[in-house]
Amino acid sequence: MPYWYYDKKDLQNTPSYREGIPNDTENRYRKEGARFIIDTGSKMDLGYNTVATGVVYFHRFYMFHSFRTFPRYITACCCLFLAGKVEETPKKCKDIIKVAKSLLTEQKFGTFGDDPKEEVMTLERILLQTIKFDLQVEHPYGYLLKYVKCLKGDKAKLQKMVQMAWTFVNDSLCTTLCLQWEPEVIAVALMFLAGKLSKFEVVDWNGRQPKHNAWWDMFVEDITMELLEDICHQVITELIGATRIGKIVSKINVGRSQCIKWIAL
Amino acid sequence: MQGVSAPREPTQQVISTTSTILNMREKEKYIEDFDFPFCDESSKYEKVAKIGQGTFGEVFKARARNSSKKFVAMKKVLMDNEKEGFPITALREIKILQLLKHENVVNLIEICRTKATLHNKYRSTFYLVFDFCEHDLAGLLSNVNVKFSLGEIKKVMQQLLNGLYYIHSNKILHRDMKAANVLITKNGILKLADFGLARAFSVAKSGQANKYTNRVVTLWYRPPELLLGDRNYGPPVDMWGAGCIMAEMWTRSPIMQGPTEQQQLILISQLCGSCTPDVWPGVENLDLYNKMELPKGQKRKVKERLKPYVKDPYGCDLLDKLLQLDPAKRYDADTALNHDFFWTDPMPCDLANMLAQHTQSMFEYLAPPRRPGHLRHHHHVAGAQAKPTQPVQDSGYQDRVF
Repeated sequence: MPYWYYDKKDLQNTPSYREGIPNDTENRYRKEGARFIIDTGSKMDLGYNTVATGVVYFHRFYMFHSFRTFPRYITACCCLFLAGKVEETPKKCKDIIKVAKSLLTEQKFGTFGDDPKEEVMTLERILLQTIKFDLQVEHPYGYLLKYVKCLKGDKAKLQKMVQMAWTFVNDSLCTTLCLQWEPEVIAVALMFLAGKLSKFEVVDWNGRQPKHNAWWDMFVEDITMELLEDICHQVITELIGATRIGKIVSKINVGRSQCIKWIAL
Repeated sequence: MQGVSAPREPTQQVISTTSTILNMREKEKYIEDFDFPFCDESSKYEKVAKIGQGTFGEVFKARARNSSKKFVAMKKVLMDNEKEGFPITALREIKILQLLKHENVVNLIEICRTKATLHNKYRSTFYLVFDFCEHDLAGLLSNVNVKFSLGEIKKVMQQLLNGLYYIHSNKILHRDMKAANVLITKNGILKLADFGLARAFSVAKSGQANKYTNRVVTLWYRPPELLLGDRNYGPPVDMWGAGCIMAEMWTRSPIMQGPTEQQQLILISQLCGSCTPDVWPGVENLDLYNKMELPKGQKRKVKERLKPYVKDPYGCDLLDKLLQLDPAKRYDADTALNHDFFWTDPMPCDLANMLAQHTQSMFEYLAPPRRPGHLRHHHHVAGAQAKPTQPVQDSGYQDRVF
């Protein structure tokens, strides 16, 4: 099976970059594409797994092709179409296109060409080859649920923490984190972030051994604080971009300064 | 990793989204020239012969053009009539084959593609590439010169059950057990093949039954619960097929060759006894229980009717346990593997020596039509020798999803 994780240098030197698209622009395209898959998926009542699988296909696709060759919104549709079938929640291609049309400006929908459905069909074959038919994708969601079961502490606080971590995983889809780290690592980092922001400190957990310094040592080996902070930083940066930070701050009842401190990690 | 060449300075600072998009011709050229790093061209293999017809396309024997000269089986993904792109059934099969890695399950080597050109409207054809197996069980059984000793029959069944144990442990149902889908290499290793109808299953939670299609499994191997419309079935559907295949090791042709679903149910009742709530609690709740004609007062005659062929009492007993009407009473693969049949003399013995005498590859597809079943009852209906109904039509996949 192919290896789908890249270091930061690879993520800067992408096919889009080599065709003259600056990294910032590419990241914006990635974010817009991912957000569009999330919006289209939720409008069609597709589950979080299907949506996340579609987004991962999308990010992987653009490690091999440029945004100049393949406009982002139709690729996004194609990724969601394939993810629907793979995750056993199939949606008709024409229905996805219909929802896409309702969400996009006329100019953006124009990139779908004269026959959008045919475009998606052709694109699907290219997508399948590009992702090497590596269809099954794991996401951090399942790991969040697995981890929280082992943590000890106030039930309500744990619940609040895992809910917050869950929304962070959603936000992480708009970043290239799924091209950098395994879902287990992302789950640990975002649970860590949620713990910090909800002021819940995990002091004990089931299955604790003397060699464990932190709860996550039980699940993933060799996670450094530096790595956790880097992942949190990427998600928080995304939150700022999405202007949702204010909402987060008010919702979780931590001071803005606390958040800023985290952002400034 | 891909794309490790030194980063170049972006040539443009601001890219407008619409003006720089490639036109159609440029895109076609791009697709034609793109060297997909993970998906090889099918031309790396040279087709030798057509060896069969899978659930979603033709199967070819082919040989690698590289120095290995290795033989493979290539299964074409039929997409011509697909309104919804790459068939969901093919995606399922690929996902399942990528998950299943076991000596007794056919091995998927890779997926290949034809080059996208103007000729195919820039749409590649895909092939699933498998390790080649010289024989299939239906082909071997139809050849009177191929004789299985009791030890060899045990080896076949042990490997078949090992394969089923493995796939069921991985929460996969095969759903198309039949002799033609059981491959055997020239070294005597059995491989379960054709996962075109397979799917993942979950153990139903209370009050929330699964809704799978019951239009699976080739009619002659279809268990009674499917014929009665059960949509919340599980691994026992494959175990029924295993029982039918096991009996076939001696009878040499499928034991119940019903021409219709109704007739198949009658044949089953005549062999296994009437389907009543007494022997099968809950059968009365199945959708088609009142819609199908179910023979009443039939006695169970599994051992009695199979004994003339099977002779071995342990073999008869295991068959009796696999051909249980009630899926809850039917042996699972693990229990079957622990049956005395496999642990008494003659012990299971290797097939390689016997197969070495047969150098010709034997596939059902290439073999002459098999004789009608030995076990057909005296008042069977006309047309009983018709080919078994395929679980689904060849075109379209909608019918067999979920």
